[in-house]
Amino acid sequence: MHKLYVVPTLIINAVIILVPALLTMALAFFRWDGITTPAFVGLQNFQALWVDHVFWTALGNNLIWTAIFLVVPIAIGLVAATMLLVVRRGSMVFQVIYFLPMVIATAILARVWQGMIYSPVSGVNGLLQRTGFQTLDPLTQPSTALFGIATVDLWHWWGFLCVIFFAALRQVPHEQIEAARIEGASFWQMMRYVLLPGIRPTITLMMIMTVIWSFLVFDFVYILTQGGPAFSSEVLSTLAYRSAFYDLAVGKAAAVSIVISLFGLAATAVYIRAQAKEFQQ
Amino acid sequence: MNRRIFLSVGLGLMASTALPFAAIAQTPVTWWYESANPEQQRAITQGIIDPFNASQSDYQLTIDYRGSELDKQMRVALLSGNGPDIVYSAGPSYVAPMARAGQLMPLDDYAKQFGWQDRILPVFLEMGKYEGKLYALPKTYETLGLFYNKTLFKEHGWEVPTTIAELEAVSDAMLAENIVPFASGNANWRPANEHYVSLVLNSIAGPDNVYKALKGEMPWTAEPFVKAITKLNDWWQKGYFGPNYFSLSDEQAFAQMASGQAGMMPTGTWQFQRINTYFPQNNAEAGFVGFPSADDIGDPVYALGVGSTFSIAADANNPDGAAAAINYIFSDDAYAKMNELWQGEWNMPIADLASIEVKNVQPLYTDTMKGLATSVANNHYGYTTWTFLPPATDAFLVNGI
Repeated sequence: MHKLYVVPTLIINAVIILVPALLTMALAFFRWDGITTPAFVGLQNFQALWVDHVFWTALGNNLIWTAIFLVVPIAIGLVAATMLLVVRRGSMVFQVIYFLPMVIATAILARVWQGMIYSPVSGVNGLLQRTGFQTLDPLTQPSTALFGIATVDLWHWWGFLCVIFFAALRQVPHEQIEAARIEGASFWQMMRYVLLPGIRPTITLMMIMTVIWSFLVFDFVYILTQGGPAFSSEVLSTLAYRSAFYDLAVGKAAAVSIVISLFGLAATAVYIRAQAKEFQQ
Repeated sequence: MNRRIFLSVGLGLMASTALPFAAIAQTPVTWWYESANPEQQRAITQGIIDPFNASQSDYQLTIDYRGSELDKQMRVALLSGNGPDIVYSAGPSYVAPMARAGQLMPLDDYAKQFGWQDRILPVFLEMGKYEGKLYALPKTYETLGLFYNKTLFKEHGWEVPTTIAELEAVSDAMLAENIVPFASGNANWRPANEHYVSLVLNSIAGPDNVYKALKGEMPWTAEPFVKAITKLNDWWQKGYFGPNYFSLSDEQAFAQMASGQAGMMPTGTWQFQRINTYFPQNNAEAGFVGFPSADDIGDPVYALGVGSTFSIAADANNPDGAAAAINYIFSDDAYAKMNELWQGEWNMPIADLASIEVKNVQPLYTDTMKGLATSVANNHYGYTTWTFLPPATDAFLVNGI
């Protein structure tokens, strides 16, 4: 009888996730403009992606993005969280400040950075240029556009990780920390042998989620550059969106979406295996 | 909220939903529009909705502002058969797939009934045809040309360019004076990229070659097109577009031209609506000419673009009312009123503009539009990429830059 309790969630999952997911998978093998009847084309959509240099740029950008987000925000977040743990004074205030960017809608954040910081007319950038510094709007150069966007996302993202890590750190048994202190462990030794092992599951989960989220990134890219200039900041999700709604190539967009899902699936598989191992121990 | 206010608000809400039923004697006609600011919405109400509803007693036209996602909403609504009577699309290339899917009603009978063949420039009726049947009427047509700051030109003793060589000479002179030659920016509208592609395709490769390429008789990699794109690239490399192309919005770029930080602006006729906002405050005067063409082409080529189209849904509840409303939009009255209230966006392709008097509008605008209508009537025009290329090709031009 109690099994019936899962039925509502199952129904919601089936309707909102399973059905569209299956449809998308099927569509990847069709040519469809979104209006007329889809035509079966086999693997043609994937073949088209294979020779499409924009697809490879987008995939490369997603990998760069993943690498950046696996390292930078996690490092900053860990350092800041341990600081909060060590220096308890004012930690509440700092937590709020760090977390604040996370609360603001991404569209607004992106607009603020675009108009008030990067813009050479209305932003800090313009102020610098008028006072004689030769600065550039990073979003306008093919070589820096992706990093310009990543900066904005990092700024809004690391505070979230910091708060998560801080919460996890507080769960580390106090006796262990005390014992390490009495043994005369330095800050780095404390990190290496007590704190990091103590919150390892949290870090693993966050890294795996980072991989999944990095392949889903869309909002900041779309608002700040729409993948430009000249495809230099294109990622898979913006490519899929444009294919579906601008090029009217829904099949191709579905194929791109499947590639995105494959990376998410791989990350999830790693996570589930790691978790299973932990349970066995 | 106390009880009394709650009650009165509730009653008010009920009354407002009840109102449309009071006027049910007229059958409703529904029309979904894209995004418009409050002032623009007022213009539509005053210029089209109210006068149309007052002009006859059979139909009640209502408009629904759907924002920038109109295109996607329309696609879903038409698939499910719940769309509006008047189908408003972003351009002819969006009409073809809908017509192919049988979601639109052929308009040929209405065209005959209302005499659209005589009132609307024929080339635009051709654009709305799919497999020999008329499916769409263009709401507005536009062209590309060269705006310039007349006052700035006078100060420096520059002549308005009429050939590519003169254009480059005056641009180089501007660069030497630290003035940006081409006011431009795509920060708010990436598709601005293709405006320049359209300009060089028509003015350097020439409309005849573009026509051949569109018909598939000539590859896009042929020599004239390579020449045109190379020229565009040269201009970019020389810095004609200024240092901030990817950071400025077109409005900011327009303001720079008005203030003399930039000299010219190669762009579309939709920018006319900005002249009164920016030029008077800088004590400057605006000018507009056709974009100079290569020597073997001669006169400036006006590349035609269609911004948005009107069609009627195949399963419309009220097709006759929709046709009557569309017919009203193409009337002289609506043209005069809409061009007075909202310039640049409601240039319906009416064949004979001579008899229409638009109030409170710059002579520069009306002269340009009359000149354009004449030039189109004489079959002298070019092709904009956003009107004549299929969506994926067009998107590549926009995003590849």
